[in-house]
This record gives sequence, structure tokens and C-alpha cells, in this order.
Amino acid sequence: MTMDTLLDIAQSAVKTALAKGAQEVAANLSRSRDVETVWRDGQLEKTQEATSRAIRLTLYVDGRYATVSSSDLRPQALEQFIADSVVLTRALGKDPHRSLPDPKLYAGQAKVDLQLADPRHEAFTAEDRRRLARELEAAARAVPGSDKILSVTGSVNDRSAESYKVHSNGFVGHRKDTSTFLGAEVSVKDPDGRRPEDTSYAGSRFGSELPTAASLGQDAARRTLARVGSKKGDSAVLTMAIDNRAAGRMLAFLLGPLSGAAFQQKRSFLEGKQGTAIGSPLLHLTDDPLIPKGFGSRLYDSEGLAARALPLFENGVLRNGYVDTYYAKKLGTAPTTGGVSNLVWKLGSKDQAALLADFKEGILVTSFLGGNSNGTTGDFSLGVQGFRIRNGHRAEPVGEMNISGNHLEFWKQLTALGNDPYPYSALRTPTLVFEGVQFAGN
Amino acid sequence: METPQGGMTRRDMLGTSGMLLGAITLPGLGLDLAGGAGMQAGTKSGIGYFAQFGVTEDLIRQTLSEALSRGGDYADVYFQHQVSNSLGLEDGIVNRAHTNMALGVGVRVIKGDQTGYGYTEELTLETLKRTARTAAAIADGPAKPGPKGFRVQPIKATRYPVARPWEEIRPSEKLPYLISLNERMFAADPRVKKVTVSFSDSSSVVLIADSLGRLVEDVQPMTSLGLSCVAEQGGKRESGGYNVAGRCDIGFYSADRLERMVREAVARTTILFEAVQAPVGEMPVVLAAGASGILLHEAIGHGMEADFNRKNISIYSDKIGKPIAQKFVHIVDDGTQPGARGAINVDDEGNPAEKTMLVEDGILKTYLHDSISARYYGVAPTGNGRREGYQCAPMPRMRSTYMLPGPHHKDEIIASVKKGIYCTNFTNGEVNIGAGDFTFYVKNGYLIEDGKLTRPIKDVNIIGNGPKVLEKVDMVADDLLIDEGGWTCGKNGQSMPVSQGIPTVRVASITVGGRGTKG
Repeated sequence: MTMDTLLDIAQSAVKTALAKGAQEVAANLSRSRDVETVWRDGQLEKTQEATSRAIRLTLYVDGRYATVSSSDLRPQALEQFIADSVVLTRALGKDPHRSLPDPKLYAGQAKVDLQLADPRHEAFTAEDRRRLARELEAAARAVPGSDKILSVTGSVNDRSAESYKVHSNGFVGHRKDTSTFLGAEVSVKDPDGRRPEDTSYAGSRFGSELPTAASLGQDAARRTLARVGSKKGDSAVLTMAIDNRAAGRMLAFLLGPLSGAAFQQKRSFLEGKQGTAIGSPLLHLTDDPLIPKGFGSRLYDSEGLAARALPLFENGVLRNGYVDTYYAKKLGTAPTTGGVSNLVWKLGSKDQAALLADFKEGILVTSFLGGNSNGTTGDFSLGVQGFRIRNGHRAEPVGEMNISGNHLEFWKQLTALGNDPYPYSALRTPTLVFEGVQFAGN
Repeated sequence: METPQGGMTRRDMLGTSGMLLGAITLPGLGLDLAGGAGMQAGTKSGIGYFAQFGVTEDLIRQTLSEALSRGGDYADVYFQHQVSNSLGLEDGIVNRAHTNMALGVGVRVIKGDQTGYGYTEELTLETLKRTARTAAAIADGPAKPGPKGFRVQPIKATRYPVARPWEEIRPSEKLPYLISLNERMFAADPRVKKVTVSFSDSSSVVLIADSLGRLVEDVQPMTSLGLSCVAEQGGKRESGGYNVAGRCDIGFYSADRLERMVREAVARTTILFEAVQAPVGEMPVVLAAGASGILLHEAIGHGMEADFNRKNISIYSDKIGKPIAQKFVHIVDDGTQPGARGAINVDDEGNPAEKTMLVEDGILKTYLHDSISARYYGVAPTGNGRREGYQCAPMPRMRSTYMLPGPHHKDEIIASVKKGIYCTNFTNGEVNIGAGDFTFYVKNGYLIEDGKLTRPIKDVNIIGNGPKVLEKVDMVADDLLIDEGGWTCGKNGQSMPVSQGIPTVRVASITVGGRGTKG
């Protein structure tokens, strides 16, 4: 099925919905091809490959609202599905705040080439994928200490996706992107009987810009071997650095309560705090959808609004949240955008090792385990593992520990950021350093 | 809030290191669907339900032959038609609905313990054969014959108490539940300021046929109802809620159950105003009967899934037949409880679901198997081969995991603790399979001081190591309760409905991640 046909389906679905009685409708037609290649311990473990498609419709019928989606695109089945959906939307309660966005907000899309699709992605073959997956394992098994290795899994996941978005009030959008992720996961035998595991991975929109499989395999083995002998430390209040790879988890707890829904539903510890200092002056964060090749990059958001940079925090002061059309109307404000794109931080000048050199004592957290954050109050409590920092250097591994705090105090304890934004996530977190963090352990 | 695009981590994609479990959050939202054939699986002969989509025995036979065209040992197809609906109430109005219709087929080829997988939404012979060839490429040898015909496997168990299928229930019949719950929440306590209600139901019809000539169809219902509120007191806000789920029909929502939902949602939220900081450090922890089964899910359940053991990467990989807990500790994973969220008639490989002993008399007994691991270990499958949908290959997954009643009593367990905590409600947990470290997040609980429950606590994570913590379960009460909540387990990117339960138990010592006084 060609994309022209998919655009036809989207346009025809909009027409059908209007004909069946919807006053407004948005259609999103997507197709994606996903390939997974997994190599484990000397042989292929799994290959999975599929091209999938789906339609998603947002219906506005007599003041009521529903979203519906289907993978059954046979013309008659789809027409019946839309007709049924319109009828059933009428069964809901009226909500005066539901409508498509103001078409004025569709205008002004940036005139940039975001370079989201690798034109050479199609040339990536099954043989290429298997070779890379194999190399990931071979590299992991070549590092010193590899006699402790129990198992290595190398995997390659790649995707190409294309979508059309058609709104009954004039918006038409088209988007195409690709991505490829390589990863190695290693398990090792710890003399104490445990089998610690860790991973190393990287992703890129352009296959040619990935690090080598060998470097990732080696990194995975080194990270995992470094976990051997991990012990629980004593409960204490300590300085904490969060590795750039792990810091996105902590940041996500700050972003969730920034949504219009959280503000309007009084489920946000940030509600009513625009213009006040939430973090230390080092917390300076912008949502930027227009970074070439970014994982979160886009010319328009999920509602079709033209994408533009959105200041979230300036020198610690909360400026904006993620407010979509619906919650903007409920809140009586203007919409910004409904969802996170890429984040840009005001970075520090030092790399992680230099940041740690300033520590007398503390813990470098390299990953979180479970835990949660209360978006209403800001209280959080999270499992952590990582390394003890002694005299400015990374020392022995620690695990089975926990940190806790409240975001309204915690972000004020941010004392340094690294110069190392994590490149394989749209959140692009650098290493973050916080003072006075409560750790739980023995 | 959308999730950050491309903000996925390697763990989301590969992630055998972190298995996630969470309570249902309010989903996106939905609506019922009219028309279409009733979702009754045909169990008499040949193709039943899927005949309406042009599926025939010949189509399946040709697909499976193509799947074995490069020498795979085994192949199966998994057809699925699922209609899922949800309705949401916010600010007093049932103002959002979501319906999803999923129709597709997955083709799997197994060679040894290697898997080739493909899927498609186009149920035509040409597309199915192409999908089968994709999956076939896991093997590289001479073709093997496909099945000559099929033997329909009748579903013997009926674990889904459904008198009225969900596709017969109009939205107009569901709306009053949401509206009434909303009104009762506000009436229950003047501190309640915001209420959301979410009602979900789905019917998934599956047809599984394999190269051995087995063919089975099942109709799998599910429903859930979630209630959430924000309360205010003295300028402070707290949020909380309660949710229930089961493989049941609308009769699940009895007057008793709805009343309990309102009572619990309000109580669990408003008590937070009285809560003090949880203590920090190692201490005795008493887990209340019911949802505390999250301990078992994280501390042992995942580690007993046989794929991790086949790969030699679970902390339990060398412990079968060994004592790992006190003699009065018995832990099961059970697919047979009628109406439970984790119940299934057959698993997603067509094998009957069983009740499987993980731990008996304190001794580690049986891993949870899919057909790959069962062949690898030379044992019968346990009916744990499950998948999220047609887009996913099956793997060993839990169903309803719980501990059997023990010799102690709840009161004596609480009275035995000088200083510790008592945990009643949970939101989520996670485990590292190999290192064995796991966590679960306590939403509500109490301090235990001198053998008595005293002040409430909230929002504290607990972290331990699976085998070490099981050794420290030193008291088990006689009050087993299976939680009625809507638990969803995440593994390698696939979400799966599960249940859990436990009697009141004491863990002699585990790390509590609070900020209060040191334990």
C-alpha cells in the first residue's frame, strides 16, 4: 500500500465521519516497519519483522468527544466502524471545552529540514543486522574479566515510520522518520551467587552515526563487571550525582506535573507556581522541537500545532507547562503544546569525572529501580544502585539502596550539571549533582 | 501528557533487567461499538469466529507450510480480534471515550530455542504467506511438512463468568456507573475536590493453530473500573484512589463492590493528611493480606520465569529443589481462578492454564514455562506462554501469583513487631532478574510501635533482594486474600494482566526508603 493510498484513506475517513454526523474530525494514518534482531550466546535468538498500520480518529459530535482507532482498514469495515463510532459518541455527556485547535495555531511551521529519516535505511539488510548483533556479543566477551560472563545478548532494533494527519478544519501533515538502536546486555556471575546484569545501548536516526557495535559490547561488559561485589551502604544524607543515562527517570517526575491536565485537575505540586523558583538557578530547561535528527523533533505536535521552543524553567523559575487545546480552554489560558519534544539544558562546563573530583564523599547513581513520585505533593522514593564516591573518585559498587525527598526541595539542591547531555534520549539529561539527599540502606 | 517521543531507553526495548508491575492508571478513554458479529468462539468444528474475516483451515494450513519452508521445528499462528472500550468521567461529565479495534495475525517459527516472528493486519493468503516466510528465516534448512489437517481442541475450562458479552452492553448502560460513583465520592467527604472515573472493557477472540495440527479458539473478556480523587485540607492536597478488575461481565460491579470502591478511595486519600514521614533503614515490615502479593511477583515470580533460567541469567537459575524459605511458605502461580484478572482458559500458545507450585514447603519446585522452555527442560508446559497481542511472540509470564495460608494470625504478627511498618496499598514494583534486587512502592501504611499500629505513613519505596527476603519471611498468617485490583505486568515491552495475593506476612528485616527516623 503506498502512502498516497494512506493519505486517501485518511481524507476519506474524515469525509465519512463528517457525513455520518461529526462536526469536526481529525484523522491520523500511520504505517511503520519494525525489525528486531537478537543474538545470544553464539546464535541467533530471535528475529521479528513486520509492517503495521493503523488509523486513529478524534471525533467531535454534537458537543461530545471520542477517540477511536483500528487496525482493520478494509474500506467497508472502516466505514462501518466510523459510523458506529459517531453514533456512540452521541451517548456521552456534552463538554463545551472540546474542539479541534484554532487553525491559526497550525500556521508558522518552522522552515527547517529536521532530517528525521535516513534515506539509506532501506539498504540496511538482514545480514547487516545479524553481523552487528554478533559483533556486540563478540566485543563483550573480549574484555578482561570476561570469564565471569554468563550470557551476552546483542540486539538491533530498527524502525521506519510514516504518517499523515488530516483535520477537518484545514490541517494536513506528513511525517517520515527512521531510527536504529543497538544494544548489548551482559550477565555475570558474582562470587556471592548473584548474577548482576547491565546494558549499553545507542540509537540514532541515521545508521551511519551510531557508535560501533564493538564499543557498545565492550561498554556493556565493563559496566556489568563493575557491578560485581555490590553491597548495600549505610543510611545517610549524602551528595548524589546521577549519571546522564539515568537522570531522565528523575526528570520525568518533574515533567508529568507540568501537564495542563495535572494543573487543571489539581494533581500537580507545580500548579499555581508559574513565576516562582522551583529549582536552583542552574535548572534552566527549554523544550525544543526543532533540533535536527532529535528523537523528539517535530514540525507540528500531536494536535497539529506548529512546533516552537517552549521555556520550562529559567534560572530555576517555572515559566510554562505542557498545555493542550482542551486543558487550555478549561484553564482559560492559551495552549502551548500537549507533549514533550526534546529538552535543552543549560549545561555545565565539566565532564562527569571532573564533577566527581569535587566530591569529598557521595554516591554516583547509575540506575534507578522502581519507586515512584507523588505528582500531587512532590514526594518521591526510588530504588537506586551505583558507586560510592570517595575522595573525588568512583569507588566500590553499591546497590539495594533507596533515595527519597520532595521535588519542591530537591531541585533547589541541584548544585552542578555536567557538559554531557545523554544523546540517546529526547530528554538529553546531563550528569546532575544534588546535595543533601537522603539515602536508605543498612 | 504524551510520553516523550524517542525518549525510550534501551531498557524499554531489551530490558530483561527491569520487570515492571503497576496498578492500572486511568487509561485514555473509550466507547462501545455497535454492530459486528457477536464474539462467540466456535468450538464445534473448524474455524468459528474468524470465518467472518475469510479465515479458513486451508489458509492456515498453507501459512504453516510456508512457515516451515526453511526447516523450522514448529510453527504456530495467532489470530486476534479485540475490541476495547473505555469511558472517562472528569469534572462531573462522562466526556471522553476511546475504542480500539485490533485485528491481526502473528506467525511464529521455532528452531531449537530460536524464534522467528512476523505479523500482519491483512488477513489474505498472499500476505500471510509473506509473513510466514519472514518468520521462517530463523531456520536455514530443507522444508518440513506442515499439518495435514486440524483437530479442534475444545476449551474445557470456563474461567470467565460472562452471562452478557461486552459487545452487547451499550454505553448508556455503563454511564450510570460513572455518574453515580462521582456523586457518591463528593457526598462521602467534603474534602474531596476532584474526581475522575474510568470504565474499561474488552473482548479478545483468539485462534491459535500450530504445525502439530492443534486448533483452539478462546474469547477472553476483561473489565476494570478506576476511581481517583484529589482532596484538600488546610491548604494541602492529596490524591488517591481505588481500582478493580476481572475477566467478568458487568455483573462484576455489584452494589457491595461499588460501595467498597468509594469507601476505600476516600479513606486512602484523606488519611494521607495525617501521614508522617516513613522511617529510613532496615526494619521489620508486615505486609497486609491482599495487594502485598506484589512482594511475590517481584521477589520470586519473575525470577522463576523459565526464559531467564534457560538463559542462565536469573538469580534462581541454580536453585530448583533447594530450600529457599521456611517450611510453611508455599507459593503458587495460578491461571485457574474464575473471573480473576490473571485467569486464562488456555495460554497464548493454546496450552491449558494450570496451577503451578513455585515453592512448596519452602523448597523451590517449578519454573513457569512456555513451550520453548518446556522443550528445553524436557517438561510439560505449565500454561504460562502469554503475549500482549498478535504483534508479540509469547514468553513465560505470571498469571495470579499468591502465597498459601500459613500457621500464624494477623494480630500476633503485628504484636510481634517493636518498631517497624505495616504496608497496605501499593502502586508499582520492579526487579532486576539476575542481581535479585527488587522494589515495591507503598502508597499507604502505618508505623508499628510496640506491637501496635500507630500513625499512618505514605509514599515510601521498599527495596530488598529476592532470595534474601524470602529467607526472612518468618511469619505467615491464615488470612489469604487475592487482590481485586487491576495489576499490569511489563516485560520486554509487553503488558500483561495479572493478579496477586498473600496472607498477612512478616519480613524480619528489609530496607525502608523513608525520610523519617532511622530504623
